[in-house]
Amino acid sequence: MSTTPVIVERLNLKYGDFHAVKDLSFEVRPGELYALLGTNGAGKTSTLETIEGHRTPTSGTVRVFGHSPADRTTVRPRMGIMLQESGFSPDLTVRESVGLIGTLTKRTDDVDRVIDIVDLTRKAGTKVGQLSGGEKRRLDFATAVYGTPELIFLDEPTTGLDIQSRDHLWNAVDRLRENGSTVVLTTHYLEEAQQRADRIGLMHQGVFHREGTVTELTRALPAVIGFTLVAPAPALPLQAAVATDGSVRVETFELQKDLHVLLAWAQDNALELRDLTAGPTRLDDVFRAIES
Amino acid sequence: MFAIARTELIQIFRNRLVLVTSFIIPVAISAYFIYQHEVFTQLGSLGYIAAIVMFTVGAFGLYTSTVTTLASRRQNLFLKRLRSTAESDAGILAGLVLPATVVAIVQVVGILAVLGAVVGGPDNVLLLVVAVIATVAMMIGLALATAGVTNSPEHAQVTTLPVSLGVIAVASWVGITGTEELAQVKRILPGGAATELVLNAWNGGVALSDSLILLAPTFAWVVVAVSFATRMFRWEPRR
Repeated sequence: MSTTPVIVERLNLKYGDFHAVKDLSFEVRPGELYALLGTNGAGKTSTLETIEGHRTPTSGTVRVFGHSPADRTTVRPRMGIMLQESGFSPDLTVRESVGLIGTLTKRTDDVDRVIDIVDLTRKAGTKVGQLSGGEKRRLDFATAVYGTPELIFLDEPTTGLDIQSRDHLWNAVDRLRENGSTVVLTTHYLEEAQQRADRIGLMHQGVFHREGTVTELTRALPAVIGFTLVAPAPALPLQAAVATDGSVRVETFELQKDLHVLLAWAQDNALELRDLTAGPTRLDDVFRAIES
Repeated sequence: MFAIARTELIQIFRNRLVLVTSFIIPVAISAYFIYQHEVFTQLGSLGYIAAIVMFTVGAFGLYTSTVTTLASRRQNLFLKRLRSTAESDAGILAGLVLPATVVAIVQVVGILAVLGAVVGGPDNVLLLVVAVIATVAMMIGLALATAGVTNSPEHAQVTTLPVSLGVIAVASWVGITGTEELAQVKRILPGGAATELVLNAWNGGVALSDSLILLAPTFAWVVVAVSFATRMFRWEPRR
């Protein structure tokens, strides 16, 4: 039986005439954090929910640990799911909610330990209806990680969380990964994916545009050096786009070398490079490139 | 299944509105029927009182509360959450429906026991038990079907009216007028055959074989309702 946590092959999803996901293929390897990123309506959640077993593919195959995700009794005890929107009964307490969902996952754990992971111990006896949005997200996370599942789906896990809670959550994810858990993540916070993902799949309008590590994704685009010239200057030593207001934009695949050239040129000509910025290509830039 | 049922029971007792409208009011109405049993016996028969209290509990304590519960759990995505676990769909539904079903059966048994103590017991207890079970099965089937077309607990106040008022009206019609006229029409209406079964079980005077035939239309309604529910039931809100 396959040990690969997730294999998706030529997945297509249609809602009536709308083709939400088109010929998507990828796999998630054991122990990695795989981030599925995309623009709004890219098909991320549809894809995720198909892998989780909430949706049936129009065509193509999805395998979770070698099984169909529809085989709930086999697959679900090995996976934890944090949905994009929390779905709890408002009349149950935090402890009752974690206990119920935990029991139904068929995994074993200590309810109070799990509640403590998400820092909700003080609220253990509070009804879910009285929790804030951020607290509900943490409760959601608690039910996903109950029993330390082998595969965890986190759909926008930090939306609505304050910085402290985000750090808390990511620390918990780090500990789960140390124990060997595989994580599939979707998020709108690109910096989180940039910092944490081993590999990233970028979706746009239902199609997979790029896949790889952050380095692989960003090295296809040039880094940018930007500054403004406040006085007349001799010819620039590099190819650059100069605007009428004096702002200059240099695109380069050799950031350090070209920055050095530029600074030396400014030094030699006693020029001020006002508002100088230079940085490696970020996921944001890759995103914008895809959208355009 | 039982973990879900346990938390559902907790929620029933924590939600005063559900407790009053679905469980206390049916008992109060039934108590009134028993208190005024002489009036209602003159109007129909003792069997009519048994039938009407059974359908009052079945319609409000079981059917309406089940539809409302399922719509509510779907609206706040609790059904989706439960489907994110290893529990089967059948186990989830059974867990959600079980507490209201058990409470309704306990209510019906309790009320009919009081009725029996006040006016004398039924002619055929076993047949009465069969009638109650058949009616409960029919009301659950109708509840699952109705939940498929109910978007929210508020919407349930409207969508449950045709069936809940309908079965009580049919029970009253059959209970008061009997089945000497329009027998086939009365028997194929939801609750008609079950009412006649209760009348026969309580009042007596009808051959057992003639009574058992009445189970067919009742279970036919279960089949119709469940097949409708299979097509119409949704686990997530419509987007």
